[in-house]
Amino acid sequence: MKGYRKYFTTKLVWFLTTFVFAFLLNFILPRLMPGDPVAVITQRVTQGMTSQSGAQAVYEQYAEQFGTNKPLWEQFARYMANVVRGDFGVSFSQYPRPVAQILGASIGWTIALQFPAIIVGWLIGNTLGALAAYLKGGFDKVVMPVSIFISNFPAFGMAVILLVVFGVNLRWFPTSGGYGFDLIPSASWGFVWSVIVHYQLPFWSVVLISIGGQAIGMRSMAIYELNADYVKYARFMGIKDWKIIGYVFRNAMLPQITGLALSIGTMVGGALVAEIIFSYPGLGYTILNGVIGQDYPLISAATLIITVMVLIANFAIEIIYGLIDPRIKAAQAD
Amino acid sequence: MGKVILEVKELTTKYITRFREDVYAVDHVSLKVEEGKSLGIAGESGCGKSTLALSLMGYYFPPLYYTSGDIIIDGRNISGMDPDDVRRSILGKEIAYIPQAAMNALNPTQKVIHFVEDVIQAHNPKATKKEIYELARERFHVLGLPEEVLHKYPVELSGGMKQRTVIAVSVILGPKVLIADEPSSALDVTSQKMVIKMLRGLMESGMIKSMIFITHELPLLYNVTDHIMVMYAGQIVEHGAAQEAVFDPLHPYAKGLMGSIIVPEEGLRGHKLTAIPGVPPNLKKPPSGCRFAERCKYVKPECKGAAVAIREASNGRTYRCIFTESELRETYQNGA
Ligand SMILES: Nc1ncnc2c1ncn2[C@@H]1O[C@H](COP(=O)(O)OP(=O)(O)OP(=O)(O)O)[C@@H](O)[C@H]1O
Ligand SMILES: [Mg+2]
Repeated sequence: MKGYRKYFTTKLVWFLTTFVFAFLLNFILPRLMPGDPVAVITQRVTQGMTSQSGAQAVYEQYAEQFGTNKPLWEQFARYMANVVRGDFGVSFSQYPRPVAQILGASIGWTIALQFPAIIVGWLIGNTLGALAAYLKGGFDKVVMPVSIFISNFPAFGMAVILLVVFGVNLRWFPTSGGYGFDLIPSASWGFVWSVIVHYQLPFWSVVLISIGGQAIGMRSMAIYELNADYVKYARFMGIKDWKIIGYVFRNAMLPQITGLALSIGTMVGGALVAEIIFSYPGLGYTILNGVIGQDYPLISAATLIITVMVLIANFAIEIIYGLIDPRIKAAQAD
Repeated sequence: MGKVILEVKELTTKYITRFREDVYAVDHVSLKVEEGKSLGIAGESGCGKSTLALSLMGYYFPPLYYTSGDIIIDGRNISGMDPDDVRRSILGKEIAYIPQAAMNALNPTQKVIHFVEDVIQAHNPKATKKEIYELARERFHVLGLPEEVLHKYPVELSGGMKQRTVIAVSVILGPKVLIADEPSSALDVTSQKMVIKMLRGLMESGMIKSMIFITHELPLLYNVTDHIMVMYAGQIVEHGAAQEAVFDPLHPYAKGLMGSIIVPEEGLRGHKLTAIPGVPPNLKKPPSGCRFAERCKYVKPECKGAAVAIREASNGRTYRCIFTESELRETYQNGA
């Protein structure tokens, strides 16, 4: 256990260091983009206004409010103080909505779309890979090429195909939005049904994309494990096959957990393509709009959320993995 | 003569490879192991030692197939028995096999005690965890293994400790025959000695009734086993008491293996079986006559004709050669 504590501490120090750097970059990078977003807002607000000095006054007022007239370090100090309080400032592009409110509204959609899709994709992919390794023969000969094909398929291609086939041609499912544009969110059956049908295409586009890679990974892990010496020895001791298969798949599965946790951590990035193509009201779609509108506070906050999720996922993988897989634990103790 | 625990009669088995070429890796092998006795099997790499071990356990899973012969364990003939039944009722319980790669024989992510539970419950589903733990603890204690090992993952054990753990687990059900396949070849000298000592202890304490010890280091056999069998290209070429097989071999192959040896023990160590020039025949197309003829110093034209039968010599020894015992002794005297 002493070895494990050391392992834990090392990982924690790494986690915090990465976090500090990520936090800094999150703040700086969007502000290095060319263009002046305050001028854009001013222009929008002062449209039709003829007085040059009036527009100038509006500009200065916004600059004061957003703090863009202050030196960068002062902006950073203010930003940090606010973030600690959960205040990410006011959006530029959707002025005057607070960033926290915009993100709060969209993150739920992303999680509801991605989390089940990742889990389902992981389960299907791993089951297929395990079965291909165990059954071999015809099953393997079908699953493998299809998995390789799918795993090399670009995410937008999958989304577009589903959109064209099931949305445009067959008209089975709607092609855009999180629910019917004529509906107001409520707890009614009509609304829930609308959410469910709108959910299908983005959901399956994410599931299908992840299946192939998982199946390939699981298959090769399982084949390797099936040929391991401990499998033969367990047979020599008269242990039943289903029990041995249990050993094999547990051992093959452990490394696959890394992949699962990583895709959960990078879920926002993974959702980007599906959300954009299906105009799904999640975080990815919001970020796209933020980038187009040069919305510093929105981009900073969104990337901060992504960064934190990725870092936490990575940290969690290493901690959990170190605990559940004695092979890692032993390697750490050396 | 003691009670016969294991008897194998004219056992022949083959591998059927992917290209439908049969490999007769065990060819008409007969042997007997009595209660309280041990048998050593020696021969160079690829001669069929491990295949013989699997074959006499009734472990016939593709690509290995049973062809003919009898296997009788403690009076029960298991030849022709369904391999799945063999696994259920024979393996681990009647015969236990310590595989060649014993270092990797345990599942790295399963605690030793949990594997012991699986082994015992495979044969006795009613055994409780508590009973199993008590038994395992007692066995480990008797065999000089620390109890903590039970709570460890195999990855946390040293190579020698893993090996001894595998041995301890293999005998947990008190098998009648223990087959140890090169149990010490990957170990340093100290660990080798410990393993050998442990195996001897198993016999002496009666935890197992008999043992088959496979190796290509003949001196190990001389130290450990009562009888020795020398295998060449799937066949037995020499079979007798350990002392005679090592120091007074009859078959030219066995002679070649041991010919240069004068000092027992230390001098024997490191004398590998591959010292004879030439290579063994391809088992896919073995020669019709004597399989050793190509490499034999004393070969005669008649050696390459028909298959060579087993001959009996003094003291119940057997060997496979066209020459009689006295002819061979004479040849060796003149040739040496
Ligand atoms: N799965 C298999 N399929 C086909 N042929 C095999 C297979 N396993 C072994 N053989 C062949 O059977 C013969 C005997 O192999 P075996 O493993 O029994 O030898 P061995 O005496 O145990 O050798 P070693 O000392 O290297 O362990 C060899 O010629 C080998 O090539
Ligand atoms: Mg072998």
